Amino acid sequence: MPRLKRILLILIPVIVLPLVFALDIVRMTVDLGISGLGTVRELALLASFASIGIALGSAEDRTKHNVPKELGRLLLFYAAVLAAIIFMTVTSLFGGEEGQETSVRYVAIHLLGTYIVGILVTVVAIVTLQRLRSMVLHKRTRGVRRNFLLFLGALGTTVLLSMPFIPPAGGILTYLSFTIAVILAVVNAFRQSWIVYLSRREKIYALVYAFLLFVVLTILDVLLAQRSDSQRAMLGFSPPIHAFVQITCLFATFYAGMAFVSTLFHLPTAEVFERKQSELNSLHNLGRLVTQVFDFEHLVETVTHMATEVSGARSAWLELFDQPGASVNGLRVVARQHASQQEIALFEANVLTALRKTVRESGKYSLIEDLWEDRRTKSLRELGVPKLALLSIPLVSHGALVGILHATKRAEQGFDQDDIDVLTGFSDYASITIENARLFLRSLERERLEQEMMLAQRMQKRLLPQTMPSLPGVEFAAVSESSAEVGGDYYDVFELSHGRYGLVVADVSGKGVSAAFYMAVLKGIFLSLVRLDHSPRELLVKANRALLESLEKNAFISVVYAVLDTKSGDLVMARAGHCPVVYASAKGTELIRPNGLGLGLTEGRLFAQSTEERVIRLATQDVCVFYTDGVTEARNAREEEFGYDRLIDAVQRHKTKDAAGIKDGILQEIRTFLENSAYNDDMTLVVIKWLARAEEKSRVIS
Amino acid sequence: MTEFKVQERPGEGVSILDLRGYLDAHTATDLENAFQRLLGAKKFNIVVNCRDLSYISSAGLGVFMAYIEDVRKNNGDIKLTNMTPKVYNVFDLLGFPILYEIYKDESEAISKFQNTTKH
Repeated sequence: MPRLKRILLILIPVIVLPLVFALDIVRMTVDLGISGLGTVRELALLASFASIGIALGSAEDRTKHNVPKELGRLLLFYAAVLAAIIFMTVTSLFGGEEGQETSVRYVAIHLLGTYIVGILVTVVAIVTLQRLRSMVLHKRTRGVRRNFLLFLGALGTTVLLSMPFIPPAGGILTYLSFTIAVILAVVNAFRQSWIVYLSRREKIYALVYAFLLFVVLTILDVLLAQRSDSQRAMLGFSPPIHAFVQITCLFATFYAGMAFVSTLFHLPTAEVFERKQSELNSLHNLGRLVTQVFDFEHLVETVTHMATEVSGARSAWLELFDQPGASVNGLRVVARQHASQQEIALFEANVLTALRKTVRESGKYSLIEDLWEDRRTKSLRELGVPKLALLSIPLVSHGALVGILHATKRAEQGFDQDDIDVLTGFSDYASITIENARLFLRSLERERLEQEMMLAQRMQKRLLPQTMPSLPGVEFAAVSESSAEVGGDYYDVFELSHGRYGLVVADVSGKGVSAAFYMAVLKGIFLSLVRLDHSPRELLVKANRALLESLEKNAFISVVYAVLDTKSGDLVMARAGHCPVVYASAKGTELIRPNGLGLGLTEGRLFAQSTEERVIRLATQDVCVFYTDGVTEARNAREEEFGYDRLIDAVQRHKTKDAAGIKDGILQEIRTFLENSAYNDDMTLVVIKWLARAEEKSRVIS
Repeated sequence: MTEFKVQERPGEGVSILDLRGYLDAHTATDLENAFQRLLGAKKFNIVVNCRDLSYISSAGLGVFMAYIEDVRKNNGDIKLTNMTPKVYNVFDLLGFPILYEIYKDESEAISKFQNTTKH
């Protein structure tokens, strides 16, 4: 309601009531002789109170009502009204016997007293009617609404029939309508549906308030009905309003009385209702569990919290397997509610292992009704564990035990079948949610790992040369393919002093991250060793020594290292367990395989003894192919390996092409051989083609 | 897809492991477990028969490297026998014949063990 309208509504009584008061004083002393003035006065009063009623009603609507509190508030109001009336009566402020004194001052004071009480009582009655309306119409049906409207009708009729212009002959009608209003008040008083929704505590409040309200209202009813000062004062104030107040108070009295009796009957059911209510709430909250799959910690906390809520348990804790299907020792407490770590540790040491096995084997819940009495748990009594009942419920998802939910209660209270049913149902739901949360976490983890592997892949790619050297007289071509995100193949070219170039091709044993790591280590070792101008064999001896420290026992690296002198065409190579080099010359194509042990296999002396060096003097159009075992071991659907013979043949076939052409030719032959089979391994090819000796070339140029 | 099997068989004073199929990074753990069992049972004289071993990868070779030290520390040995030429080539490329005794036949390896224990 707009503020302006409210101010206007308040303004009406503020202006009208003093006017009526003034008029009354004038009328008491002087007879104005204007007929119908009484009726106008009553209408003015009714209009004032009506606007107060509307203003109050609009103010109340916004707040949510709590019935016991409202009963308490009404009690306060009526106590105030009663106190005011008693005060007035004791101090004779309502005026003594009629006609004792007639001085204007005396009349004015008594009239003021009457007005104050009259207004107070009326306002309280208006508020009462509004509050009773909301109580009666709580969870209303059409019949309820109709009954209440009928009551209001009877009330209104009685008020109108009490107007001074109604001839005394109407007295019988007034009486009739009053009776109907009272009967309807009784009918409406049976509407106490709000009681059911109260908690036990609220019911106790309601009980006390309703009783006191009933007592206070009964006294007030008597005062308003009996020929007392207050009744006289109210009738003197306004007969219609007296009728209104009287009926409203009677209604309130009936209602308070009925509320008292109903609440009393509902009291024993309060606890049950409260529990059902909390169960219902918790089951409703179960839905919220689903949204918590994104926060596992919070989810398991909620599960234990709700377990205590739905069953009224004293404490609860949840144990989950890290891996499904593990032995019961794999159970880990992930959340606990009102259960201390020491307490769980005590249980763990004395009963839990056996209990877990029982639950796991039976797949059903296990209940120890009294820890002090049960054979298995008697010892807990001496250890200071309270007299408890212990319920253990399996959490099963996809037929496998994922965990166990334990709950305790005071033994005298115990877990009844209802508790067990609710908790088992709850556990079923919880296990699905937990499983979902885990799936979600796992997929999240996988995604994270995939991203990290992508990053590792990019980084590893950068460890390989981005371009091969482009020199006169010699061609280089290289390719490296990785089966997994990261691999263990490595190749590199280093520019050494005096026009020499170092070429390394290596293969780290194993696969994946560890292989990638060792590959990075190997690159570091080579980068530092090539600067020292060692011969290939010396370099490998040093690399072996450096790697022995950092390689795991079961890891090793096969390497071939060659140094090409671009002036002389001399290719010096040493092999550490790596695939032999394919060498194609005018004489034919062969495998060059100097002796040598893989890096990281054995200590330095044996390695140095058994590793040798080979020198090839390259002639024009000679081709050298370095590779990793992914090439020769490439296996097709018929389980055949590409092998050395096919490789030699391929080199022989393509050796007249340039280095890149040879590389592509070999790759193409491997692909054709594989015929789209899903073969997957790291594969590296490096091709060197010697075009002309530097001196020959310079001869040609000059 | 590719299968690998390792079976333990007692010999005279030795334990014999029969390998069959493809020994690669995926199946290497099977062989590791077999060695673990033998070492746990204090059986350090081990003959690995590779007659039915059709393929061995670097990860497979790594398994031998992982256990040889422990075995030799306990005066035992791992001797390899009956390799197909292809499998032998893989061992040979890496220089395993320098580090391990490799025999054509199982009986040679067994008698070798018996000779060393007699002395």
